Amino acid sequence: MKKTFAGQVLEKIKSWEFVLLIILILEFVIFGAKNPKFLMPNVLLGSINDIISICIISLFVTFVMITGGIDIQAGSIVGLTSIIIGVVWQDGGMNIWVACLAAVIAAALCGALSGFFVAYCGVQPMVVTLGGSFLYSGIALLISKMSATQSYKGISGFPESFTKISSSKLFGVIPNQVVIFAVLTVIAYFLLHKSKYGRKVFLVGVNVHAAEYSGINSRLVILSTYVLSGISAAIAGIVLTSYLSTAKSDIGVTFTLPIITAVVLGGTLSTGGKGSVIGTALAALVIGFLRFGLPLCFKVNTQYLDIPAGLLLLVVVVGRSLANHPKMTRFFAQRFSRREKSI
Amino acid sequence: MNIIKKIFKVREMSSFLFLIVLFLLVGCINNSFLAPTSLLNCFNDSVVFTLLAVGIAFVILTGEIDVSIGSTLGLSAAVASTMLRDGSNWAAAILAGMLVGALIGFVNGWGVAVLGIPSLIFTLGTNGVVRGLSYVYTGGAWVENLPASFTRLAKTKLFGDLTMFYAVTILFVIAAHIILTRTRRGKYFITVGDNPAGAVMVGLPATTTKIVAYVLCGLFAAAAGMLYSSRIGFITPTAGSGYEMKAIAACVLGGISLSGGLGSLIGASIGAVIMSSVSRILVFLGFSSDYDNTITGVLLIAIVVIDAVSQNRAAVKNRHARLAARAGVPVEKSLEGGARK
Repeated sequence: MKKTFAGQVLEKIKSWEFVLLIILILEFVIFGAKNPKFLMPNVLLGSINDIISICIISLFVTFVMITGGIDIQAGSIVGLTSIIIGVVWQDGGMNIWVACLAAVIAAALCGALSGFFVAYCGVQPMVVTLGGSFLYSGIALLISKMSATQSYKGISGFPESFTKISSSKLFGVIPNQVVIFAVLTVIAYFLLHKSKYGRKVFLVGVNVHAAEYSGINSRLVILSTYVLSGISAAIAGIVLTSYLSTAKSDIGVTFTLPIITAVVLGGTLSTGGKGSVIGTALAALVIGFLRFGLPLCFKVNTQYLDIPAGLLLLVVVVGRSLANHPKMTRFFAQRFSRREKSI
Repeated sequence: MNIIKKIFKVREMSSFLFLIVLFLLVGCINNSFLAPTSLLNCFNDSVVFTLLAVGIAFVILTGEIDVSIGSTLGLSAAVASTMLRDGSNWAAAILAGMLVGALIGFVNGWGVAVLGIPSLIFTLGTNGVVRGLSYVYTGGAWVENLPASFTRLAKTKLFGDLTMFYAVTILFVIAAHIILTRTRRGKYFITVGDNPAGAVMVGLPATTTKIVAYVLCGLFAAAAGMLYSSRIGFITPTAGSGYEMKAIAACVLGGISLSGGLGSLIGASIGAVIMSSVSRILVFLGFSSDYDNTITGVLLIAIVVIDAVSQNRAAVKNRHARLAARAGVPVEKSLEGGARK
C-alpha cells in the first residue's frame, strides 16, 4: 500500500531526526532572543570552528556503533595526526601536503590495528579502543619529543596554503569548515544509507551470524568502520591544526565524551543495528551550539558546560527508555488510536 | 564448580605472576628497584587506583561499566575536603563524602538496572553532570588548607614502610573478596554477570544486585576521593578526571573480563598495582615517563588480545571435546577435521 502524503509527514514528525531539528530550532530561537548577536552570520558560522572536530568524527563513529562496536580512541588519533603533520613538515622538511597524507595514512593504520583486534581476535571494542587511546596518545607524545620544538609549545608557523584550509571562506561568507562538514555529511549519508556497503554495516550490526551466512565478510566490514573513523579523526586533526596553526600532541583528548554523546543523542543504538548520519550530524550541531550559545547568551561559565551536555544525554536516554516501556507504549497507542478514530 | 574455581585461581595467578616477573625483570636491570622500600612504595602509591579498580570491579563483574567514577572521586573529595577545611566534624565530613558517592552510584544503578539504559551511555551522562557539579560546588577554585591532622594520615605508617591506608584498603579488599566468593548474596554479582537471563530465570534479584554493585562502586570511589585528598593535600576541580579509564585498564590487567562474570577483586587490586607502577618502573629503567601511556596501551592491548585468543581456542576445544564425546571419537581426531575456527 502506498503511503499518503500526510502519512509520510506524520512519519517524519515521529522520527527522531525531526525532534532533534526542533531542539536545534528552539536553541536558535532562545539564544537569538536572549542575545541577537548569536544569530549574526559571522558569529554563528564562526562558532563552528570550536565544534567541527566533534561533528566530523561523530559522523563516522556512527558507523562503528552501528556494527555494535564503540570507538573511544578517535580523540587521541586527532592529537597523533596533528603532531605527525607538525613533525613531518618541520623536522622532516617535507611538503605540508605530504605531511597531511602521512598523517591520514598513520590514522588509518591506527584504526585498522584496533579494528583488526576487534574483528579478527574477538576482543571487546571498548577495551581495545581504550588501550588504543592510551597507545596512540603515548605515541603522539613520543613523536612530539622527536621534534626540535618543545612539546608544550607546539609546532607553529605553518605555510599560508595550509592555514587557508580553515581561514578562507566560500563565496566570502561560508567558512571552509562548514563546507567540509557538509561534504562529509553527504559522503557519510550516501555511504551508510544509499550504498551496498552501508547495508552490510547495518546487517552486521543487526545480526552478525545472519550477515556471515548471507556471504558478507563481516570481519572486514567491522575492521573497515574503524579505519573510517580513524581517517575522519585525521581529517578533524588536519582542520584543527590548520585552525589553531599549531601542532600539538594532546589537542584531542577531551573529545571522546562529546563524540559518543553526539552519536547516541543522534539516535544510534549502542547495541548496534540502528542509527543515522543525519541524526548524528544534527545531534552534533545541537551539542555544539549549546556549548557555544550558553556562555554567549546566558553568561554560563564554560567550566559548567558539562552539566547541560550531560543532562541532555541523560534526559534523552531516560526519556527514550520510558517511551519504550510497555506501559507507556500502550498508553500512547491508546491515545493515538482514539485520535485517529475521531478523525 | 571445581573447574570454575580453578579458572578463577589461574586468572588471578597469571596477573600475580606477571607482576612478579615484571618486578624481577626491572630488578635485574636496576637492583635498587627491588629494595624493600621501593617495592612497598609501588603498593603504597597504588592505593587510590586499588580502591577505584575494586569498586568498578563490582560493576564490571555484573556485566556493566561505570565511567563516572573519576568525577565521583572529584566531587566527594571536594565535598569532604571543604567541610574539613571549614572545621567541621571529621565523621560528618567523611559521611557526607561517602553519601555523595553512594547517591551517584544509586542514580547510575537506577538508570542502568531499572530503566535498562546501556551502562556506558548512562554513566557517560552522569560523568558530565557530576564533573560540572564539582565545578559549581567549588566555584572552579582549588580546595586548599586542609587540616594538617588529615593530611598527616596519609603519611602514617604501620610495620615499617607500609602506609596505614594501603593496609586498611587491603583488609577491605580481602573482606570484600571473601564476601563475594563465599556468601550466598556475594555470589549473585558474578552469577548475574555470567548469565543475566539465567540469573533472572532462577529467581535471583538481578536488578537489586546491579544497583548494589553501583552503590558499592560509588562508595569505593568516594573512599578513593578521601584518600586522594589526604595524600595530595588539595583538590582541584578536575581531580580524578581520566582515572575511570585507568581503573578499567587496571581491572583488565587484573584478569577481569569486561563482559562480566569472570574475575576477582584480588585480581583488580593486583591490576591496579601493575597499572600504577608503570611510570615508576620507567624511571628505574632510565626512560622518561613520556613512555607511560604507550607502555600502558601496549600492555592493555597485548593482555586482552592474548586472553581473547586463548579463550576462543579453549571454547573451540571444549566444543570439540563435547562433540567427540557424544560421537565416541578421540578429541584429536575431531580437532583435525574441525571447523576453520
